Amino acid sequence: MKETNPALAARRKFLSKLGRAVTYAGAVVGAGALSTAQNTAAKSEPSAGGASFPTKDYDWTKHRWGYGVDATKCIGCLRCVEACKRENDVPGTAHHFRTWVERYVYLEGETKPRIDSQHDPVNIEASGSEKEYRFANRYKDAKVDKAFFVPKLCNHCTHPACVQCCPTGATYKTKDGVVLIDHKYCIGCAYCVQACPYGARYFNHEKQVSDKCTWCYHRITKGLQPACVEICPVGARIFGDLEDNKSPISQFVRNNRVRVLKPESGNAPNVFYVGLDKDVI
Amino acid sequence: MPKHIVRLITLIVVFAALAAVAKWYFTADTFYEFGHYRGASVPEIAGLAPVFQTPQYCQACHTERHAQWSAGSHKSVICEVCHGAAQGHPQNGKLPIPKDTPKLCSLCHEAMPGRPRTQPQVAVAQHSGGQQCIVCHNPHSPKIAATATKVAGDAKAGQQRAAACASCHGERGISPNDSWPNLAGQNATYLARILAAYKSGDQKDVVMTPIAQPLSAEDIQNLAVYYATLSCVAPPSQSRVGDPVAGKAVAANCTACHGEAGIGPNPAWPKLAGQKPAYLVNVLKAFRAGLRKDPMMAGVTRGLSDTDIANLAAYYASQSCRP
Repeated sequence: MKETNPALAARRKFLSKLGRAVTYAGAVVGAGALSTAQNTAAKSEPSAGGASFPTKDYDWTKHRWGYGVDATKCIGCLRCVEACKRENDVPGTAHHFRTWVERYVYLEGETKPRIDSQHDPVNIEASGSEKEYRFANRYKDAKVDKAFFVPKLCNHCTHPACVQCCPTGATYKTKDGVVLIDHKYCIGCAYCVQACPYGARYFNHEKQVSDKCTWCYHRITKGLQPACVEICPVGARIFGDLEDNKSPISQFVRNNRVRVLKPESGNAPNVFYVGLDKDVI
Repeated sequence: MPKHIVRLITLIVVFAALAAVAKWYFTADTFYEFGHYRGASVPEIAGLAPVFQTPQYCQACHTERHAQWSAGSHKSVICEVCHGAAQGHPQNGKLPIPKDTPKLCSLCHEAMPGRPRTQPQVAVAQHSGGQQCIVCHNPHSPKIAATATKVAGDAKAGQQRAAACASCHGERGISPNDSWPNLAGQNATYLARILAAYKSGDQKDVVMTPIAQPLSAEDIQNLAVYYATLSCVAPPSQSRVGDPVAGKAVAANCTACHGEAGIGPNPAWPKLAGQKPAYLVNVLKAFRAGLRKDPMMAGVTRGLSDTDIANLAAYYASQSCRP
C-alpha cells in the first residue's frame, strides 16, 4: 500500500494518537488504582501486628455462633419482637420483622392447627398499634386441645440459599457463622427474600434493601447477647459459641434432643429447636 | 503476520487491559479480601452501637433497685423489658415508668391457651377488678411475700393464757361485742404475726399493746394455735352496716388474697368470712387513714369510700366462716 493516500494517512495518525492517549490514560488510572489498593491494604492489614478482625477486641476466626429456641418455655409476650425492631431500626409497621413468634392452636375436633403471628389483624387490633405487639386472647373461650408458641428468626444456615442467589455479593457468610447483608452493595432486587425457605428475610422499603436478623452482630462481637435473647423473660431463646463446650448453646444442644426447621432444604440451619410439633415447618 | 491482524490483536489487548484496570478501579478495595463480598462491611456492621444496655448498665446508678430486683422472682425480666431500651439514658432524659400496669403485666400474665403451665397466669379482669397491678405487687419483686411460717404451739397452754383475753374476745373466741374481732377459727399464722406485731410495736392499739407486750414468743404461738382450733360458728351479728350485694362487687378486688368469700388461699392473711362487720369497718378505715400500717392494705383501701367499706364489711360478715 502506498503512503500517498491522504485519507489513510489521516486515519493512521488518528489511531496512533488514540493508542498513545489510551496507554497514558491506562497508566494514570492504573497508578491511581494501585495507590488506592495499597492504601486499603495498609488499612485492613494490621493483621501483621496480630490485631484481630472485624474489631480490635474480637477475632471472628475464634467463634462459631449458634442459636437455640426452647418453644416449651415461650409465653408469647412478643418482647423479643419489639426489642429486635428497636435494636435494629426495623420499620415500625405491622409487616416488617427480623424475628417473629407464631402461635399454633389445635381446637377440639380440628385436625389442622390455627396459626397466627403478631401481624395478624386481630392481634394488631388487640395491641392497638402497629408498633406494639401482643397476642389477642382470641381462644380464651374456645375448646383448645393443644396450643404453643414458636419463635422464629434467620437460621444463619451453613449453606445459605440466599447467599448463593445474590447477584452482587451483598450478602455473605462470615467466618464466625453469621449471614450478613452489606446494605451498601445491596441493589434491592429481593432475590434473596424469595430464595430463603424460611421466609426470614423482608424487604426494607425505607432503605430499599433486603434485611434480616444478624444475631445482633454488633452486640455479639462486643460480648453481649442478641437483643431478643437478652430481653426474653423466660429463657426461651439461647445463644452462644458452639466452639465453647460450656457455652449456653453447647449445653442446650448437648442436653436436649434438638431439631432444625426444614432439614430437607439442604440449607443446614444453625437455629436449634426444642418442643416443636409435627405441623411446625 | 498481516498488518490488520496485528492491529486487531493490539486492539483486543488494549481493551482487555482497559477492562482489567476498570474492574480493579471500580471494585471495592476489600471486596475479595475474605470472599465474594466487601470485607469492610463486616466491621461496619460490627461497629453499630447497641441499643439495649443490660442490667449491669442500670446497676451502676440504680444499685438498690437492682439488688431488690435481682433477689426477686422477676430477676429473669431485665430492666429494659418494662422501661425500654437504655441507650442515651441518662444523658437524654428519663426512661418511662409504665402507667398502665394491667396492660403491661398482661403481656406475660394474662391466662392464655399456649402459655406453659409454669408461667403464673391470671384472668386479669377478674383478678384485680381493674386496679393497677402495683397496688398489691411490687413490680421489682412481685411475689407477695406473705411467708406462711409454721406455727407450732400448745393449744392447752394457749387456753390458760387466753383467760385474760376472754372479756373482749369471748370465752371461746367469739367476741360479745361488735367492735372486737372474733378469733375462733382464725388462721394461726395470721394470729401469731399480729400478736408479734403488737408486742414489737409495729402495730399499736390502746388496749392490745399493753396486753401483748408481756407475752413471750411461746405464749404467742400457744395462743395462736388455741384460737385457730376453736369453732368459728357464731350467732349472726345484729348490726347492719351496709349492703352485702353491693359489697360483693367491691370484694372482687380482694379475692386474690382473701378469697372469693373471705377465706383466702394463704394462712398468712386473715379469714374475713363471718367476721364482725363493725370491726371490719373500723379496720378498713384504719388502713385507709394509715393508722394501721400495711403497704398492701394501704394501697387497696386508698380508693374506697365509706359506703364501699360498709358494703364490704357487710358482705364478708354475711359469708359462712366454713368453706
